[in-house]
Amino acid sequence: MQHEVERFKLRSRWLHWVIAASALTLGLTGLFLYVPQFGPVAQDSVTRVIHRIAAVIFIGAPVLYFLVAPAASLSFLKKVFTWGKEDLEWTKAAPDYYFGGEESKMPPQPEMNTGQKLFALVSVACFIGFLITGIIMWAFKGQVSSGVFNASVFVHDVCFILGGAMLLVHVFLGAIHPRMTESLRSMITGKVSAEYAKSHHGKWYEETTGAGEVAEESPSGPAQG
Amino acid sequence: MGEKAILYDGSKCTACRGCQAACKQWNDLSGEETTNRGSYENPANLSVDTWLKMEFKEVSRNGNGSVAWLFNRRSCMHCTDAGCVMVCPTGALYHHELGFVAYDKDLCSGCGYCLEACPFDVPRRSGNTITGVGKMDKCTFCQDRVTQGLEPACVKSCPPGALSFGERGELLIEANKRVQALKAIRDPVTGEALYPNATLYGDAQLDGLHVLYVLPDSIDKYDSLPASPKVSDIAAAWQRYLQPVGYAVVGAVAVGLLLNFMVARARMIQEKEGK
Repeated sequence: MQHEVERFKLRSRWLHWVIAASALTLGLTGLFLYVPQFGPVAQDSVTRVIHRIAAVIFIGAPVLYFLVAPAASLSFLKKVFTWGKEDLEWTKAAPDYYFGGEESKMPPQPEMNTGQKLFALVSVACFIGFLITGIIMWAFKGQVSSGVFNASVFVHDVCFILGGAMLLVHVFLGAIHPRMTESLRSMITGKVSAEYAKSHHGKWYEETTGAGEVAEESPSGPAQG
Repeated sequence: MGEKAILYDGSKCTACRGCQAACKQWNDLSGEETTNRGSYENPANLSVDTWLKMEFKEVSRNGNGSVAWLFNRRSCMHCTDAGCVMVCPTGALYHHELGFVAYDKDLCSGCGYCLEACPFDVPRRSGNTITGVGKMDKCTFCQDRVTQGLEPACVKSCPPGALSFGERGELLIEANKRVQALKAIRDPVTGEALYPNATLYGDAQLDGLHVLYVLPDSIDKYDSLPASPKVSDIAAAWQRYLQPVGYAVVGAVAVGLLLNFMVARARMIQEKEGK
């Protein structure tokens, strides 16, 4: 058995899958209003009610997580908004790396690599965008001017396009890309092999296993090397 | 068959409001409880149960102390360039081949976007703010009548013939003639023109309305008739620009990911086999 490392705590995984399920529900019910050919599915407001229920969960889950784990949430947000030279290096190595080039040419990455940070940034931006415009469209229709309402629909749609496109990339890299063999598993079981952690998030692996706290050993004993 | 239109001649209208009542009768709409506001204009506004109402306005004529009592018809304008059709996500609102803005209420999702896109503030919505369940209502051009060769209920009911129904092109000709005739009417005593500002409305607004108006006075005297109505840019932007952009972006991403998968896999296999 190989040496395994904990990548995602249980509470993170819960948050991820609750957001994933609600976001997919929101996206699908929104899609019915976006593609005219699907329009009839939205008749009689059924999908709009489902959209609102999913919206409450989508917004509520991260807020709840923040209340339960404020330090972790803040440190996450801090990472998302900290950009530097390392990100430039990732960007230079990324095209070749993600198109199947040599792994060694990608510099060792932290817990969140630049691409993941970018996705997190877009997600946070879309979260805020959806929240504000969604509240206007839901609770303040008829009270704000048509100009404000229509602008909210527009921004809501921009977030949908941007977030939707990034979501496709996220699902692809997380579950389909030939190099990302353990990433889906890591979000289900929380663990990755040490080898995977070393090659994909080498900087993080050095820092955590160096301290010796986070790494967990599998029952049959540690395998070195 | 060409496009149809309704012509309202404000100079013949007696504001009996038979049209208001006929619309309610034909469409099974209930009356509303109202209060006396000191005007014959009743109810105060369009609603889900009032798709057509008559407006009354007293204006000073020629500034010499005489007063004109202007009547106007307020209902869906059935625009060619209809904002409501542009923003309706389900296709419940659509352009009928006869020219009017048709409405399939079954398809309505209750989103209320049409209320925010109409330059005339015509559609009305009833529904629940929390759940979002609801439906819109507006004049249907008596779709169930005109598609069977009948005229709309309001037109049928009009005693002085202020309302007429027919081919839009023919009604435009008739309306223009009527406007010229009004302008030629002179006071038998003073000889001054009585309707010098008579005008036509609906010929060009929003690429042409399917409700035409012969007005005995200028457009600015009528509160619910904006001189240059337009669908706001932000309302039109969704269908015209953002929707196609969205398809393009997602399409490009999907194609890009497919390419990435194929290339990455091929190169990784090559690398493995090369070892």
